[in-house]
Amino acid sequence: MHDEAFQLAAQWYDGQNAVRHEGEAVWDGGDSLRLAAPTSRMEVPLSDLAWGEERGGQKVYQRTSEPDFRLILPAELPAGLAARLPAKATYGAWVDNLGLGKATAIFAAVSVAAVALFMTAPDWLGPRVPVSWERKLGDAMIGDFGGRLCSTPAGDAAMAKLLDSVDPAKEQVRAGVANIGMVNAVAVPGGRVLLFDGLVQQAETPEELAGVLGHEVGHVRERHVMTALLRQFGLSILLSGANSGVGDTIFGLASMGYSRDAEREADEFSRARMAESDISPLGAAEFFERLGGDEEESEGSNITGWIASHPGPGERARAYRAAAKGKSFKPVLTDKEFQAIKSMCREDPDVEEFEFF
Amino acid sequence: MEQGHIEADSAFGFDGNWQDFAKIALPNLLLTIVTLGIYRFWATTRERKYLWSHSRFVDERLEWTGTGKELFIGFALVLGLFVLPVFLLNLVAQSLIARGYEVAGAILGILPLLLLFYLTGLARFRALRYRLSRTRWRGIRGGSNDPGFKYGLSYMWKTFVGYLPAGLLIPWSMTSLWNERMGKMSFGPHHFESSADSGNVFGRFLLFYLSPFVFFIGAIVAGATGAFAGYGLGGESGAAMGGVAMIVALVLFFYIGLGLIAVAFYAKFYREVVGSTSWGDLRFNFEASTMDWVKLLIGDALLVVLTLGIGFIFLSYRHWKFFMTHMEAGGEILLDDLTQSTTATAKHGEGLLDAFDIGAI
Repeated sequence: MHDEAFQLAAQWYDGQNAVRHEGEAVWDGGDSLRLAAPTSRMEVPLSDLAWGEERGGQKVYQRTSEPDFRLILPAELPAGLAARLPAKATYGAWVDNLGLGKATAIFAAVSVAAVALFMTAPDWLGPRVPVSWERKLGDAMIGDFGGRLCSTPAGDAAMAKLLDSVDPAKEQVRAGVANIGMVNAVAVPGGRVLLFDGLVQQAETPEELAGVLGHEVGHVRERHVMTALLRQFGLSILLSGANSGVGDTIFGLASMGYSRDAEREADEFSRARMAESDISPLGAAEFFERLGGDEEESEGSNITGWIASHPGPGERARAYRAAAKGKSFKPVLTDKEFQAIKSMCREDPDVEEFEFF
Repeated sequence: MEQGHIEADSAFGFDGNWQDFAKIALPNLLLTIVTLGIYRFWATTRERKYLWSHSRFVDERLEWTGTGKELFIGFALVLGLFVLPVFLLNLVAQSLIARGYEVAGAILGILPLLLLFYLTGLARFRALRYRLSRTRWRGIRGGSNDPGFKYGLSYMWKTFVGYLPAGLLIPWSMTSLWNERMGKMSFGPHHFESSADSGNVFGRFLLFYLSPFVFFIGAIVAGATGAFAGYGLGGESGAAMGGVAMIVALVLFFYIGLGLIAVAFYAKFYREVVGSTSWGDLRFNFEASTMDWVKLLIGDALLVVLTLGIGFIFLSYRHWKFFMTHMEAGGEILLDDLTQSTTATAKHGEGLLDAFDIGAI
C-alpha cells in the first residue's frame, strides 16, 4: 500500500444498460482504479480512461475500450490521482495545446494569408493558364453558341477585316456577331468575342465597332476572362466556410464581372491597336457619349447592364478623344463592308433566334 | 430492481445560466471569426455539450458525445457530394442553353431543385437521428437503423400533396411526416411512437385563410378613420398624410398579424405532435402556449437588436432552455429494462442540415 492510496465516492454506468452503480473508486497508487458497488465491481486501467466532460460540478471520464462507459468522480481529486488521469479538454486539441490567445493569433494570421492568397491568386494564376486550356474550357461551356452566330460571306469578310485592324496577332481571337437584340458585347471563356446584334445596329460608324471589338479583344489578350473565372471560383470556395447557404454560393458564381482596372486595361489595349492601324478612336468616343449620355444619367434600361460594370462613359469618351488629338486616320471599313456587318443577322437564313424558353 | 416513477411536472429540467454560456459562446465567436467560419463545427459541439450537460431527464443529466470533427466531415461530404455536382450541373445546363438546347438545359437546371427538395427531407431525418445517436443518458443512447432515404421521398410527395388543395392538407402533411419520422427513431431498447392527429391542429390552421377578410375589414376601418383624423388636422394634405400613416400601420398590422397566426399554429402544432409522442410507457407533453412563444420571439428580437447583433450567440441557449422547460413526461420506466441501443450510428454529423439551415425538431 502506497501513501497515496485513496478512496473516492464514485458513480458509473457500464454502457450496457441504464442502471447507475454507486459505490467507491479505490486507487492504490498503481495503474488501475478499482470500482466497487453492491451492484458492480470492476478494475479499470488508468490508461483506458479518456476525458469526458465536466457535468453538474463533477468530472466525467469515458473508457476507450467501452465507449459508452461513464465514470463520474468528484471535481476535487487527490493531486496524485489527478496527475494520472487524462487532462481536461476545452476548445479542441489544437486550441487547448496552444492556449486561446496564441491559437487566435495563429488562426487569424493563417486566415489573412489565405484570404490574401485567394484574392490575388487569380491575377497571377489567370495569365499562366495555357491558352489552349482556356479554349477547351470555353468550347465546353459555350460550343457554337447554339447556332446564334450570324454569318454571310460578305459579313464574315468584313468582320475579318475589322478584326485584323484590332487584333494583329498571328493566332487571332474568334470574333462574331450574335443574333441577340441587347446592346452588349462580351468576351467569353475560350478566346472568343461576341458583338450582339443590338449593339451592331446602334453603331453609326465602323470605327465604333472597331473600338468595342478592340476592347473585348483586350479582355482576351490580357487574360481577364480566365482571371475572372478563377476569382469567382476562389470566392465561392472561400465563402463556403462562413456561408452555409448552398443557394448563395451558386448565385455568387453566376454573377461574373471584371474590375474597373481590367476595363481600363482593355480600353488601353483597344486604343493602342487602333493607333497602330490608323483607325480613329473618335468613333468609340462618340459611341460612349451616345450610350452613356451624361455621366449621371443613363437612358435606356437595355444599356445600363453594359455600363454598370464599366468606368463612367464620359471618362472613357474623353480618353478616346484625347488619343485622337493631332492625328489623321483612314477608314477602317468601306460603307459596303459596314452595311454587310449590319445586315449579317437579317440575311443569314440559318441563324437561331435568341430566347430562353 | 431499480424503478423510476415519474410525475408529470419534473421529468425535464434545465439549470444552465447565460453568464456561463457566454464564457463558451464568446470565445466560440472569436475563434469562428479568425478561422473564417471553420471553427463553427467545434463551436456548435461545445455549445451542445454545455446545454446537454445542464439538462436533466428524471434523475440524470444528458450528455452530448458528438464531436466537431464529425460535423466538419459531414459538411465536407455535403460540399463534395452535393454542392460541387450542382455547380458542375449548372455549368452544363448553361452551356446547353448557350448551344441552343434550351429545354434540355432548363430540365437540367430544375434537377438540382428537385434534388434539393428531396435532400431537405432527408436532412431533417438524418439530423434527428444524428442528435439522438449522440445523446447519452445514463450511459445509453438513441438512434435509428433507417438511413432515411425513404423518408426523403415521403417528404417530397406529402409536402407536394399538402399544398395541392389550396394548402388545406398542409396540417396533414406536417403531422404525418412527424409521425413517420419519430416512429423510425428509438432510444435505448424502445422505439418512439407518435400518433399525432392533424384534425386537432386544423382549426388553428384555418386562421391563415380567415386572415385576408380580417385584414380587409381592418383596412377599410383604419383607412376611413385615418383619413378623417388627418382631415381634421389639416384639410386635404392632412387627409393624405393620415392615409399614408394608415397604410404604414396596415402593413405592420399585416406582418405582425400573419406572424401571430403562424405562431399560434406552431404552438398548437408542437403541443399536438409532442403530446402524441411516447417512448416505452412514457408519454411526452409540450406545454408552451402561444403567449410563451410570442414572449420567446419578442425576447429574441429585442436581445439581438439591443446588442447590435451580438446577442444572436445566445439564441441557441434561449431556444434550448425554452424547449427543456416546456417539455414534460409522465409514466413509468423500468431502468433494468433500458439496455443499450443497438442502432447503427453514422460516422459523420448533420452536414446536410447544416448546409440547408433547418432545425431538427
